[in-house]
Amino acid sequence: MHTSHRLELYPEQTVTQLLFKCVKNAKELRKSVMEGKIDAAFINPKMLVDPFQVLVAANKAVHLQTIGKMKTRSLYSEVIFNLSPTNNISEAFKRFGISDTDDSVLVVLITTEGESQVLADVVEKVDGQQIPVAELSTLNDVTQIKKLYKVTPQEEKLGSLLDSVVCRMAIKDVL
Amino acid sequence: MEVNKKEESMAVSGFLLKERVLRQGAEARVYRASFLGRSSVVKERFSKKYRHPVLDRRLSDRRTLQEVRCILRCRRAGIPTPAVYFVDYTSHCIFMEDIVDSVTVRDHIASTQRRSDPSSALEQLVPLAAKVGRVLAQMHQEDVVHGDLTTSNMLLRKSQDPAELGLVLIDFGLSSVSALPEDKGVDLYVLEKAFLSTHPNTERLFQELLNSYVASSKKSSPVIKKLDEVRLRGRKRSMVG
Ligand SMILES: Nc1ncnc2c1ncn2[C@@H]1O[C@H](COP(=O)(O)O)[C@@H](O)[C@H]1O
Repeated sequence: MHTSHRLELYPEQTVTQLLFKCVKNAKELRKSVMEGKIDAAFINPKMLVDPFQVLVAANKAVHLQTIGKMKTRSLYSEVIFNLSPTNNISEAFKRFGISDTDDSVLVVLITTEGESQVLADVVEKVDGQQIPVAELSTLNDVTQIKKLYKVTPQEEKLGSLLDSVVCRMAIKDVL
Repeated sequence: MEVNKKEESMAVSGFLLKERVLRQGAEARVYRASFLGRSSVVKERFSKKYRHPVLDRRLSDRRTLQEVRCILRCRRAGIPTPAVYFVDYTSHCIFMEDIVDSVTVRDHIASTQRRSDPSSALEQLVPLAAKVGRVLAQMHQEDVVHGDLTTSNMLLRKSQDPAELGLVLIDFGLSSVSALPEDKGVDLYVLEKAFLSTHPNTERLFQELLNSYVASSKKSSPVIKKLDEVRLRGRKRSMVG
């Protein structure tokens, strides 16, 4: 159900994504994250095109942590920040972080090998229905995504919305 | 922090050691590698030992920045360039989309010339020349100057409707943003030199390219005027030298 990808540049780190719909305890989950009781990124899937987008954000977060250049205070908040097209941290959390009324959530874990317990813990804590991560496209809002990432009509003609989104995420810090 | 930085550069260059080199240039190496599960192309700008380290670093920083900024500027305007996936500014590596199933325009022209007699080859290549002219006009209209236009820095997607030419511009390593007709004229001059020396007997084809450039751009006449001036200067220089 979940997908895992070992980072090519940091092979000791694996990024795992889990997707849930019909989530009933978003408020509680958010509280647990804020209190540091769960170590994971809880993301609102509305602005996500594809799991690749999350991998790009996670890889950049691990990279910036390694070179000591993160913009936020933890690895998971950095993942959320990296998803955003702007350099405004609070806006990134508002758009991509889970909020109390959300009924779907994408969970991101960055772990070293042999930490399968973390995964089981997360699955247990979310009161919702786990679905394959590939079904992300049933929960997102393409119109909103285009607006948020300011994808121009000319750029849309180039083809992939995912590539346009990812390209903005990769370059936003030097614009 | 300094120690970490060194370790990190090794993470990326250590990874690249195992990957396949597509091209070894004077300033950069280009690799093909799987990245985040996708086929991608990595461009690594390496340091030049003869340069002062501080200057070298500053130059590599600036070129890497210019390259990714110009790529995004082009994409926003609908000019096809590979999407950027990740940039490491410590080792000056750009991870980008692999334009799979493509050939360079250089190889395409060469193989067309090999396959057909000269006049029919020329005829077959006119639509491509016109397309290149249109795309370059569009790029210059966005004030992007490529800096290293050659037919090797243009890719043609293979697996597409042959009537619709999928042209992709690559290698923005020497690119810059400029509104000056002089810079755009020099851009075209560089291409003209490269084009005519790589592809013999294609003067007419290049003229088609320029015609299309002029037809596609409202701001072309000062650029062409500069191109003529630069050509003249080039000729004078070669007469003296
Ligand atoms: N994004 C790309 N996708 C596919 N092939 C590429 C890409 N970038 C470069 N290449 C190939 O690598 C060669 C050298 O690249 P460059 O040094 O950027 O001109 C080109 O002539 C292409 O054949």
